Amino acid sequence: MYSGKVLRVLKRKKIKVGDRIRLVKKKRTFQGILMPRIEMGNKDSLILKLDNGYNIGIKFEPRVKIEKIKSEWKIKRREKGNIETIIFDKKLPTISIIGTGGTIASRIDYRTGGVYASFSAKEIVTQIPELKENANIKTKEIMNIMSEDMTPERWKKIARAVAKEINSGVRGVIITHGTDTLHYTAAALSFMLIDLSCPVAVVGAQRSSDRGSSDTVMNVACAVNFVVNSDVAGVCTVLHGTMEDDYCLAIRGTKVRKMHTSRRDAFRPINELPIAKIYWKNRKIEILNENYRKRGDIKVKVDDKLETRVALIKCYPGLDPEIFDYYIKKKYKGLVIEGTGLGHTPTLEQYSLLPKVERAIKLGIPVVITSQCLYGRVHPTIYHNLRELSRRGAIFAEDMLPGVAYIKLMWVLGHTKKFDEIRKMMLTNYSGEITERTDSRSFLI
Amino acid sequence: MVDLIDYKKIGLKCGLEIHRQLDTKHKLFCGCSTGMKEREFITTLKRKQHPVASELGKVDIAAQYEFLRDRNFYYQVFPNEDCLVECDEEPIHQLNQEALEIALQIALLLNCTIPGEIHIMRKTVIDGSNISAFQRTMVVGLDGFLVYKGRKIEIIHVSLEEDAAAIVEEKQGNVTYRLNRLGIPLVEIGTGLLIGYMPGEIQDIAGLIGMICRSIGKVKRGIGTVRQDVNVSIKGGERVEIKGIQELRLLSKVIELEVKRQLSLPKVKEETRSANPDGTTKYTRPLPGAARLYPETDIPPIPIEKKRIKKIKKELPEPWTKKVSRLKKELKLSNELANQILRSDYLDLFEKLTKKFRIQPSIIANVFSSTIKDLKKRENIPVENLEDNYFEELFKFLVKGKIVKESIPDILSYKAKNPKMKMTEVVKKLKLETVTKEELLKIVKDVLRKNKDKPITKIIGIVMSRVRGKAKSEDVVKIVKKEVQKIY
Repeated sequence: MYSGKVLRVLKRKKIKVGDRIRLVKKKRTFQGILMPRIEMGNKDSLILKLDNGYNIGIKFEPRVKIEKIKSEWKIKRREKGNIETIIFDKKLPTISIIGTGGTIASRIDYRTGGVYASFSAKEIVTQIPELKENANIKTKEIMNIMSEDMTPERWKKIARAVAKEINSGVRGVIITHGTDTLHYTAAALSFMLIDLSCPVAVVGAQRSSDRGSSDTVMNVACAVNFVVNSDVAGVCTVLHGTMEDDYCLAIRGTKVRKMHTSRRDAFRPINELPIAKIYWKNRKIEILNENYRKRGDIKVKVDDKLETRVALIKCYPGLDPEIFDYYIKKKYKGLVIEGTGLGHTPTLEQYSLLPKVERAIKLGIPVVITSQCLYGRVHPTIYHNLRELSRRGAIFAEDMLPGVAYIKLMWVLGHTKKFDEIRKMMLTNYSGEITERTDSRSFLI
Repeated sequence: MVDLIDYKKIGLKCGLEIHRQLDTKHKLFCGCSTGMKEREFITTLKRKQHPVASELGKVDIAAQYEFLRDRNFYYQVFPNEDCLVECDEEPIHQLNQEALEIALQIALLLNCTIPGEIHIMRKTVIDGSNISAFQRTMVVGLDGFLVYKGRKIEIIHVSLEEDAAAIVEEKQGNVTYRLNRLGIPLVEIGTGLLIGYMPGEIQDIAGLIGMICRSIGKVKRGIGTVRQDVNVSIKGGERVEIKGIQELRLLSKVIELEVKRQLSLPKVKEETRSANPDGTTKYTRPLPGAARLYPETDIPPIPIEKKRIKKIKKELPEPWTKKVSRLKKELKLSNELANQILRSDYLDLFEKLTKKFRIQPSIIANVFSSTIKDLKKRENIPVENLEDNYFEELFKFLVKGKIVKESIPDILSYKAKNPKMKMTEVVKKLKLETVTKEELLKIVKDVLRKNKDKPITKIIGIVMSRVRGKAKSEDVVKIVKKEVQKIY
């Protein structure tokens, strides 16, 4: 908003945002609609929308004369999203869309320039008229955050909302989500939703939905097609497969990672092939990886016990091993190391992690080894230094992604604190997070 | 053609919008080159665009949807000139300060007020020419004027914007664009309503605005770098906007033809038309309103300090009226040549070269005002391939006596067709290296020996034909005369 000084003058003159005003500065007259101050820029600058549609900022000084001509716009506050159901055709299946916020739900208010999150069913349908040929749509907004603010507590809330929808009999569920941590949520849901019997698509957008070039339209359209028409029972991300508006990839929730800050095809499968290619215009679903659970009709259960005192530590040359002491002191219950290469950690001089790993394990804190290479599998015995880690009891997490191992360890520790149990569970494949064999075609796709 | 229309009586009103590409190193919002030199694209991106839901309701969403539904847009991506920003795959970088500086200079030359804070806006575009479906634009100057025939011409705004992608072809709803023009900085200058002017005068005013832009020396030249839009209305009719007139000399014709078209209609609808190369126009779409502008949120508004404006004002180039007299007085150009070079796209380069080289300014002026034009007009030589540094090299060769001025047209023509070849190679290839005095003397002696009985004018002619483009004609005459005297 504007600075106190400006606000006082506006109040005295009974001028509100949205009023048409006249402004005289150094004998020049400007006329236009007073706009609200957006968060960026100088708070003393009045923003005026000129009649040609352009905005300009005019620095407010005592000598500036300002007067109201008339009120032009009423700026309405947006209402919080409620549950809405849109039924197009009773013969069509019904799906649920659960909104959590993020770029996909963001759009600019054309009048104010403020970015609001709003993703009501009505708006989805306005943007994607073709949806009405596919499904009836139930929407629910359960939170409205950008995904960097996602937390384990919020994963639980999403998991419960998803289970509720599925058990109410919908054919599939779509979660709209900010992209930054979308893959973490997809992995968390993969562990927490037990006996999942239908597709759950986690969808985001890299270009906000107010743009004519937004990727929202194709991503949501493909996700709807996927949850209605595929026989996959599992959590998958559904986003652009390439930079083109051609097809989306459905990627397993435990084998996916955001690999680019801004491209629309940022989400890539790691260490396995994508589950399916979903073509947009001809609606073809091409299965690329048969290794998935099939649709059924058992009730889904939520198993959301998480031990959140788990940390993810990245190895790099020069890492101070004392970071372990901090976590130990703070009573952390599990540590995941993002090692180098095959899962290495430094072993020489004051940089050696070995004594710390040994200490943590002796105190009953499991240490899980993953690799910052992301692609490929860690190995406990190839090199001497790996054997040193392994001998001390570290758990080598196969080809699990570091972020996925982090979430899985939270989930495992929510169920047991017994060391052997933990090791067994970490190395058991629950939701496709571990592959037994790596397809040679699965690198850099 | 006899003009039978009384423009005053029919109440001709026009408004001009002049667009000029700026000659900056980088594009407006990224580090890509503005060179437009690449010929081979590296990939093509297929995209769809969608109607935008909340445009204040002024543009009918349903109509937008119908329009876009069956359209596929294909974008050709070029090396060096396109990056992820042009592909709509990366947020814009910070605003190009070089471009902002030039736009502010132009705004100040047109006596505009500069806003204290510049707000970048997105202008919705649905023809696909902007891959993001909007064009970024910002007002950098308001409420200015210029003087034409003693009357003030109102300048409503000067805006800085990104150029759109250029269309390659359109086939049954499949539209292909080249992305490399997208993002080149562009200034847009909008005049107030011009009432009581003849079409020719309106063309003059557009020319004047163009000249003022060029006086900064940082605008691009050549076809496609200038686009003029004109709004035309007559008494009792709506406003029709004609877009994309690339050549100034067509402007008055476009206005004349549009007036005739409007006079022939029972009722004129508000619409946008685009200009054909012959001056006629075709309907494109209904006129979009102010409603299609909304704020760019990726980068913050840009404050413009008073100090900065003061500094730019101090460094502004001289007004064009002063410039004409200076060109005549200091550089001893004829009135005609001075006016020609002032209206030339090469004005800035001309001034640079006259300062740098001790060559008669009229020689340089002639290269830019006639040689280049002639090459283009008569032989359709691609003179746009000739870069600034090449002209510098050319005149350096001339100063050093490595070439003679008579060979300039041949060298330029050859170089334009072979832009990658080096200057020395071109000169060698064309056999245009100057001959030394000794060599010339040898040739003269040889010619004299073989043509003993011929008159001196004939001898000079023969020698000239043997050393054309390799020796100055005055040298040939001097040596021949001297040698002839020796004999007789």
